[in-house]
Amino acid sequence: MLCDRCQKNEAKIYYTEIINGKKTEQHLCEECAAKHSTFQALNSLGKEEMNLSGMLFGLLGNIQSTNEKEETPIAACKNCKMTYEEFTKVGQFGCEECYKSFGRVLNKNLRSIHGADTHTGKQPKGYISEAKRLVNELPEIDKLTIQLQQAIEQEEYEEAAKFRDKIRALKKGANKDNEKMV
Amino acid sequence: MKKWYEGMSADSDVLLSCRIRLARNIKGYLFSKKMNEQQASDLVQKVLNLTDSFAEHENEKYYSCRVNALRDIDKASMVEWHIISSALAQKNQSTGIIISEDEQVSIMVNEEDHLRIQVTQQGMNLSKALDKANEIDDYFSEQLGYAFDKHYGYLTSCPTTVGTGLRASYLLFLPALSMGGKIEQLAEEISKYGVQIRNIYGESNKSTGHIFEISNKTTLGRSESEIIENLDQITARIMTQERKRREYILSINSEEVEDKVYRSYGVLKYAKKLNTQDSMLMLSQLKLGQDASLIQFTGEFNILKTMMEIRPANIQKLGKKQMSRNERDRYRAHYLNQLIPSIK
Repeated sequence: MLCDRCQKNEAKIYYTEIINGKKTEQHLCEECAAKHSTFQALNSLGKEEMNLSGMLFGLLGNIQSTNEKEETPIAACKNCKMTYEEFTKVGQFGCEECYKSFGRVLNKNLRSIHGADTHTGKQPKGYISEAKRLVNELPEIDKLTIQLQQAIEQEEYEEAAKFRDKIRALKKGANKDNEKMV
Repeated sequence: MKKWYEGMSADSDVLLSCRIRLARNIKGYLFSKKMNEQQASDLVQKVLNLTDSFAEHENEKYYSCRVNALRDIDKASMVEWHIISSALAQKNQSTGIIISEDEQVSIMVNEEDHLRIQVTQQGMNLSKALDKANEIDDYFSEQLGYAFDKHYGYLTSCPTTVGTGLRASYLLFLPALSMGGKIEQLAEEISKYGVQIRNIYGESNKSTGHIFEISNKTTLGRSESEIIENLDQITARIMTQERKRREYILSINSEEVEDKVYRSYGVLKYAKKLNTQDSMLMLSQLKLGQDASLIQFTGEFNILKTMMEIRPANIQKLGKKQMSRNERDRYRAHYLNQLIPSIK
């Protein structure tokens, strides 16, 4: 049987559509079915190579959306404007920010691909994390206060005492400077 | 200066080469899928501008060029020599390459990721290749600044390569396992250990040349050295299996094997027309015969190099002109007739 729409290809899909209670039935080929409806033929149509990571994410995305219907949809990446749907199609991110933008579904999906979601290998030479960089930019006395706090949390009291003394010395120095200025 | 396919290693009956590939992206640039041509061109220029200072830093000779500006035949030839990927050759955007004189190091610019650093060596030398790749990686990291996240590691276009961005691979010659129909079973076994096997010439199951690439499948959650250690162990096991199977085949059927080897020799030495697929198959028979000392040549004969040399683009470069399929098959036969040494 030929496709009801294009009359060219073999009809492979029996498609029923109900809109406002009105039922229409059609016999379609894969190409027309994909164009006509939200139905996407799973096997690639030759043009775009089906891409494993995209497919994996796509499938998992579907599972997620049926389970958590209440949840808000994933917003597009603010930096490169890539949408989540676009990503599941091409299987590639648009920029480094996508890793943050799609973070909500990322870890679970990474675990299904790699069996893990955290990097344990090499870091760029001289790499300092964003948090560390921010701490480094603080005035010396604030930096020491954070380090003192961390040392207390980790119960390293000797270290903590050293930071406390350094803070005291800095404060004293600052007071002296102030007195001089007066 | 020896290239990676010249010279012999102790394991070259089975193991042809090893390769490290690191995928890296530069901070502040959009990834490949979202980049426009202007940004792509800027990126390629920025990286290629570093060629001289990089060569000085490495104290080696390096060449670079814009790949998209090359003729199609030159791009195809670079793919056939395993210098660039076919994805880079086919890309409709500015692309570039930095390559060392001995072809052991090649850095692809603007493939799926901004940089793909590749180091190829002979023998079971992945850790040595990784050291070299790390050194190169550190240089570009300092010059360009990478997209890196403490949690996810090196950020790549595709989530299947995120983390280490490392693809470590071995090129293996597995005629006995392949002819015995054992590759699918092997693929299933090793996939449990996060390792994959791929036929590099010919379509999925039909191998022409029995050459396979085995590599790590996952890149996140394990360190670079763990990935390599795992791959080394599995490769060693595959090598043992292949050698055992060769011994077995020869023990039960040596006459048959010998006949095949000498038939292949006869065809390669005297045929007047040879297509790539047949040549590959017969060259692999010759290699099998040479490794098992069933056949000995009077002169040196590098079969691996020949397998790459006779592919469609390279054979036209050897003949120094564009050729139709028919002309290529005739020229290929002529070239092989001359090249193959006589038998001892």
